[in-house]
Amino acid sequence: MTAKGVSERGKKVLLDFPALAALREHDRKGIDEILGIVEGCAEYKREVALPRALQLDQRMEREPDYFDWETMREACRYNIFSLAIPKVLGGLAEKYMITGMALAVEELSSACGGIGLALAAHSLGVAPVIASGAMAHWDTVLHEIVEEEKKGNPVVMAYGITEPSAGTDVEEPEFLEVGKIGMEAKKVKGGYLLNGRKCFISGGSEAKYFTVTAATDRSRPLQTWTTFLVERDMEGFSTPRVELKMGQRACHAAELLFEDVFVPDSHVLGYEGDGMANGILIIMAASRGPVGAIATGIARGAFEHFLAWTREKRNGKRPIDEDRIRMTLADMLGSIQENRGLFLNHSFGGDAVFRGAFTHPIFLSTFLIPRTIRTSKPYSAFLNSYYGKALVNALFRYFIKDEDVTDMLAKASLAKFTCADNAMALTSRALEVMGADDSPQRPWVEKAYRDAKLTQIYEGTNQLNRLVVYNTEIAQSLQVEIPGPFKKGVR
Amino acid sequence: MIRLPEFHEDQEYRILRETAAAFAQKELSQQAEQLDLEPTRGRVREVIAKAGDIGMLAALIPEECGGGGLDEYAFCVALEEIAVEEAGVAASLLAHNTALLPSAMGEPEALITGVSPDDYPACLAFPGDVSFSGGRVQGRVPFAFNVQECSFITLIPAGSGGTQALTVRGDTRGVETTPEAYQMGLRAARAGSVRLDGAEPSNIISGGDMAGAVERVMLLGLASIANGISRSALHKAYAYASERYQAGKMIVEHQQMRIFLAEMLAAVEQGRTLVKRACEDGGIAPAVVAWLRCTESACKSAIDGVQIHGGYGYMRDYGMERLMRDAKYCQMYPTTSQEALLRLLEASEEGWQP
Ligand SMILES: Cc1cc2nc3c(=O)[nH]c(=O)nc-3n(C[C@H](O)[C@H](O)[C@H](O)COP(=O)(O)OP(=O)(O)OC[C@H]3O[C@@H](n4cnc5c(N)ncnc54)[C@H](O)[C@@H]3O)c2cc1C
Repeated sequence: MTAKGVSERGKKVLLDFPALAALREHDRKGIDEILGIVEGCAEYKREVALPRALQLDQRMEREPDYFDWETMREACRYNIFSLAIPKVLGGLAEKYMITGMALAVEELSSACGGIGLALAAHSLGVAPVIASGAMAHWDTVLHEIVEEEKKGNPVVMAYGITEPSAGTDVEEPEFLEVGKIGMEAKKVKGGYLLNGRKCFISGGSEAKYFTVTAATDRSRPLQTWTTFLVERDMEGFSTPRVELKMGQRACHAAELLFEDVFVPDSHVLGYEGDGMANGILIIMAASRGPVGAIATGIARGAFEHFLAWTREKRNGKRPIDEDRIRMTLADMLGSIQENRGLFLNHSFGGDAVFRGAFTHPIFLSTFLIPRTIRTSKPYSAFLNSYYGKALVNALFRYFIKDEDVTDMLAKASLAKFTCADNAMALTSRALEVMGADDSPQRPWVEKAYRDAKLTQIYEGTNQLNRLVVYNTEIAQSLQVEIPGPFKKGVR
Repeated sequence: MIRLPEFHEDQEYRILRETAAAFAQKELSQQAEQLDLEPTRGRVREVIAKAGDIGMLAALIPEECGGGGLDEYAFCVALEEIAVEEAGVAASLLAHNTALLPSAMGEPEALITGVSPDDYPACLAFPGDVSFSGGRVQGRVPFAFNVQECSFITLIPAGSGGTQALTVRGDTRGVETTPEAYQMGLRAARAGSVRLDGAEPSNIISGGDMAGAVERVMLLGLASIANGISRSALHKAYAYASERYQAGKMIVEHQQMRIFLAEMLAAVEQGRTLVKRACEDGGIAPAVVAWLRCTESACKSAIDGVQIHGGYGYMRDYGMERLMRDAKYCQMYPTTSQEALLRLLEASEEGWQP
């Protein structure tokens, strides 16, 4: 399959992902757009990420508070902060939002898992604003991200669900029900008072906006789980500490501290009480595949450096001339391609689920209304009202079906744990085969080994993801039911 | 608390185990994080000096020559105990003692005139590509522990069939040591590479199978350190799992967590058995098998130990991620698993001609 008008990197993507090449025959424009995204990321990898990844990682072990804003600013040139933002708002997401995201983060993470995470975690923070259909904030927050990006200023978002006493518990409805939740959002006049802590929040110390979940009644966390939009300069909000991580250091994991933070009603994303199904589950259904792609990128980076090592001469001999090394390389490529198959399977399915809503004329026509009106007080008050939310919800529900979201969640979770396990195995094996050689490639592979471990932990541990696959796909005991004005509950 | 299966050992080893464990508990447990993050010469030397008090600075040298007089197994027992608290210190002691080993195998005078057992750190530059002719050493060793600011380097040159060893003072002309740019694990054993360009040895030692002896001790020592890491992972992870509530129970009650923990327990049990058997029976093959299995298990124990801790395991504060980095370094030196396997078969095959 040869593709005309496609760069070298794009051609390689089509070779690595024949399904994309096949799809391109039907939708050249759509696929070329995602190839363009990957090409941008490949250039970023070459020009920005690779030259600093190793040093940055080593520096941040000693100076954990340091953050390299330059890598973020450079990312603006490739519109990486707009990957998840709909095209109508000036972003890059359209028909192939999840596929584009997955391929982009594979590319970025193949240079550096930490830089890959820093950029991917931002999109994770953006996702709830989009998936909840909180259109009142699209023209403000998302618009700001897009506009500032054009000027080279990264406006970062982060997604905060994990609490010190609840990690696995916030990832699954059954566990949330029995979880010991620390954070609370107490209803007060005109809004909510947030108190408590979130921990391990990627990009939390850099983000300007946060999507955060909290129970409005801690004794009934599942029924009252709610997603809020929080702004850094809200009073009582702070990010007091960052963690000392083993890997993926270029991205901070921060603690978020809420001390009587007043969040207005308008900043509830979706409805009070829909934070599990319409929040976490739908986000995980979209994002766990791309997290699998992060793992795949880390594995691919390790493979690239390992391959370079096999071609180096040692005492006149090259490892690659030995059979055992050739077979090891083939194994590695096999696991990378297995990963790609899984995350692409998820992202194609996911795009099919979301695409309907985001490309439909009704949806698009709302953006024909001039921006001045869209950002006016009455208009956003309408969108934030019960009826406004109901309208958007009805539109989304028409296209995005519960059973499809459930199926996506299954595929995403499957891709996530398999890719992560494969990445851990590949990086472990690469070091085992190299040994303590003094090759300049070894520190890269060691870094990949440290980076890979995290992919087995975040976005739900691999154990939790296995349970989700069982519950959704095999037992069918977990069915995502997105509550709305017409229906409540997750089961 | 989790109790390991009863492991039968003679009285002298049991006593040594307790002594070494007490040392590690007292001198290393509080400092483990610092020894990993900032293993400065001063900090490492200070704890190593205290290891000298329990005979670990010249452990394998006969008592009549002023050494600790430990046999191989006793040495392994002590390393395992030390590694439970800080594997890097154990690795440094291992490298140091292995570097002294040829001196102990040669004439006793060699020790007295050549090296003093207090000369920490001694470096065993092995394996590498080293030749010795006309009184000069030439060659390159890509990786060795204790390279940085070492007092002397022990080398096994090619060509003598492994029956000759050389020591070269670290500050001799023609010796160039390069510290690891970024050492991932076992950091207290400050590693690096060595280049030799016409250096003159301070000592030439001839004796039995030096190369074999040195490699055996190195393999068994690393296997024992790996066992210490698996133990550490087991105890830390079990303690954490007993305190952490998630998904409706303490996580120690989740079956998958129990299976991870039991795997660690099995790793320790199997690992100790392999080391003991290898020490009893001699020869290279059992040592290779012990090293292969113990280091592989330690890597798995450490990775699973981090997993049991969830996000916390990934952070420095809990001491689990260090085990993952240390365990991997036990597996990457002095050979690689594939090369070790090929040699194992070769050593066990009759009439194999390479
Ligand atoms: C570097 C980093 C970045 C992160 N970024 C973010 C972020 O941006 N936003 C965010 O919200 N969160 C983030 N997280 C949090 C992450 O999602 C959680 O760490 C993860 O969900 C696990 O939770 P935990 O750490 O509390 O582990 P726990 O839930 O305490 O789990 C501990 C162990 O118990 C096991 N376990 C739990 N329940 C079961 C069960 N039922 N059966 C079997 N085993 C079980 C787990 O698999 C795990 O091995 C991040 C974490 C890290 C480390």
